[in-house]
Amino acid sequence: MAWLLLFAILLITTETALVSRFPALLRNFRYQSLCLALLTLLAAEREASPELYVIAGLLFGLKVLLIPHLFDVLIKRIGASEQVGLFLNTQVSLLLAGALGLLAWAFAGALIAAPAYLTQATLGIACYITLTGILLMVTRVKALAQVIGLLLTENGVFLAATIIPGGMPFFVEIALFFDILVSVMIFGLFIYRINAIFTHIDVSKLAGLKG
Amino acid sequence: MNLLININSLVVLDPFALFFLTVILLISFPALVYSLGYLQPKYSGAKLLTTQLTTVAFILSMALLVIVGNALVFLIVWELMTLLSYLLILTDSESDAAVNAASLYIIMTHCGTAFLTAAIFLIYRHSGSFDLPAMAAACQTMSPLLRNTLFFFFLIGFGTKAGVVPLHLWLPYAHPQAPSHISSLMSGVMIKTALYGLIRFVFLVLGISSLWWGITVLTLGIISALIGIIYALMDKQLKRLLAYSSVENIGLILLGIGLAMILTRLNLPGLAALALTAALYHLLNHAVFKGLLFLCAGSVQKGTGTLNLEKLGGLIKTMPWTAGFFLVGAMGISALPPLNGFVSEWLLLQALFTGGQSVPGLPALYLALAAAAIALTGGLTAACFVKAFGITFLALPRSQEAAEAREAPRTMIFGMAFLAAAVVCLGLLGPTVFNVLATVAGSICRAAPPPAAFLSSDLTICFVLALGSGLAIGHFSNGQKVRVGRTWACGYYETGSRNEYTATAFSKPFRIAFSFFLLPFRKTEKVKDSFYHVKSFVYETYTTKIFKEYLYDAGLGLVLRGARFFKRAQAGSIHLYLSYILATLVLLALLVRAF
Repeated sequence: MAWLLLFAILLITTETALVSRFPALLRNFRYQSLCLALLTLLAAEREASPELYVIAGLLFGLKVLLIPHLFDVLIKRIGASEQVGLFLNTQVSLLLAGALGLLAWAFAGALIAAPAYLTQATLGIACYITLTGILLMVTRVKALAQVIGLLLTENGVFLAATIIPGGMPFFVEIALFFDILVSVMIFGLFIYRINAIFTHIDVSKLAGLKG
Repeated sequence: MNLLININSLVVLDPFALFFLTVILLISFPALVYSLGYLQPKYSGAKLLTTQLTTVAFILSMALLVIVGNALVFLIVWELMTLLSYLLILTDSESDAAVNAASLYIIMTHCGTAFLTAAIFLIYRHSGSFDLPAMAAACQTMSPLLRNTLFFFFLIGFGTKAGVVPLHLWLPYAHPQAPSHISSLMSGVMIKTALYGLIRFVFLVLGISSLWWGITVLTLGIISALIGIIYALMDKQLKRLLAYSSVENIGLILLGIGLAMILTRLNLPGLAALALTAALYHLLNHAVFKGLLFLCAGSVQKGTGTLNLEKLGGLIKTMPWTAGFFLVGAMGISALPPLNGFVSEWLLLQALFTGGQSVPGLPALYLALAAAAIALTGGLTAACFVKAFGITFLALPRSQEAAEAREAPRTMIFGMAFLAAAVVCLGLLGPTVFNVLATVAGSICRAAPPPAAFLSSDLTICFVLALGSGLAIGHFSNGQKVRVGRTWACGYYETGSRNEYTATAFSKPFRIAFSFFLLPFRKTEKVKDSFYHVKSFVYETYTTKIFKEYLYDAGLGLVLRGARFFKRAQAGSIHLYLSYILATLVLLALLVRAF
């Protein structure tokens, strides 16, 4: 079951390199978070840990329901074009993502000893998500893409944390969730303000602001 | 449990520390009395109170510095002293010049402190304790390379504070900007605490293990003395002139310290003690007369509102007390017998000659050269202070401000009188002071104190003779008749201040003599009415500050060019910054194979 979910995450992550519209990107993030929540639920069942149930619940509530909903509202409110804006076209993005995937796999292989295939795959995919998230931030023009890229990166870090024996301390996890929520709210506000002032959310045009 | 600060060894009151404590208190007392009158109308209320409290705290920090026996506490007090003096330079915080000078000062001394911190913690790694005796013991077992490094760190660290050439850059900026009693304290005492540190840490902690250490210090001393006095001779701002003269005197003291280091290394502790006595004597003297001269300069500034020599003149008539005290200080610093400067420079020369006779071969030649350098410095100092005194106080006023000068209030006169008396006493009581200092130097060099034979002639007799003959000549020559007549002015109708020597003109022969170093250049400009009639002629002369232009500005230029190069990476594009992060992550992921 864990393998299946990991594979799903891998597919979804790869697909983020291909999408060029915000609703699709948001849907990708939502599905990826859903898979993560299910993975956490599995772990909670395996270890019979009430804390992990809470975390899985929070993950579901925040990253699958609340945050995507907030962004939906924001996109509607701004009324901007749904296009993400591509610096690199989808084909090249896909190739780059593939290269990053190979790198992530080699990186995980260098860190984890041979027989622990599941751990290696988890770490590899976690790195892959992180790198792809940043790739998304670099190669997409509009500010919303940067925020979603950051959230994807955070998902990757979360996945990497699950392979630590015993996981991260409960309070750290909770604090992280609240950080994410707060940052999403601030980002949302900023994007809204940027749009209001400059009538666009094209980050590449912000370079003119430097002192 | 290894305590960082051991209460039992926190305070060290050996003769050396007591000597410095005396010097600090000797200069601080008149400076504080002087400040009562000096600060009065310019500042009032809270500003006056904070300035005075900071001054007292500054004095206390210096006093504390010389009696702590723990290197960590030493560092803390050292920084405290630096910060307090920084605040004091900033007393006149509305002037940009003061802010710039203070910034330069704090940056340079912080760099110096970085070296000191490094040196002290390097020793701590070996000794495991900050107590000076434990550190001294640990230093004996170190590798020569480490000891050489430590020596350099101490030299740079303390040299920056002392104003050793080429680390003297802050001195001529900071000293003129501070209020005069603060300049007096900084120049008289604070820069000496650096020499205290140098002697304390190099002689007593590190131990002198190589001959070239002493030669380095001696050479730096010669360079500082000569360059300091040449710059002083060129300057036309009174307090900056005095600041450069401080560089020169620090050089002379370092020369004595370097000589003591050489002689210690050559197993001549008795002579080393003599050299160190001379250095300490000169240190005391310089504290006294430089303190006095700065106080007098402050009095001139207060009375006329300017320190530019070209605008002064004739002050001896309006400010007789200040003029008299300045003359005493100037005579002292020019090493005229029977005043104090003479005694210490005499001792320094004695130490050099006796040392030169006792060491073989090349070092002897080098010591002879050092003696020649002292002689040259002495001559230039006399010229410099003839200029400083003559242009400031004699002849006719060169400006309205100078003509309307007023004598300083009583508190300020007391401060100057106290130090002037000290200049005379330290000269006349030479043998007594020598014996005390010989004990101090003997305790540092672990030798019997040098005998007073080096100072056999009694200067009191000399003084009485000089005074007596002076009075006699005065009595017999112009006792009866005084003729008043017009000065002949080469055919011009009247003599005015435009006929006088200017400070720049006075120093011109020296500017030409040392042109290989000063690199003087001039600008001339004719302002014409028509082709045939030149309305006025502008002539300006400058000297090149080679250390600033070729050392500091060059270094700064390098840093700025480097910064401009790296600034290209900061294009202002968020995508670019994000791609830096991605590139870093990819690089790290690739590097995981390598480690």
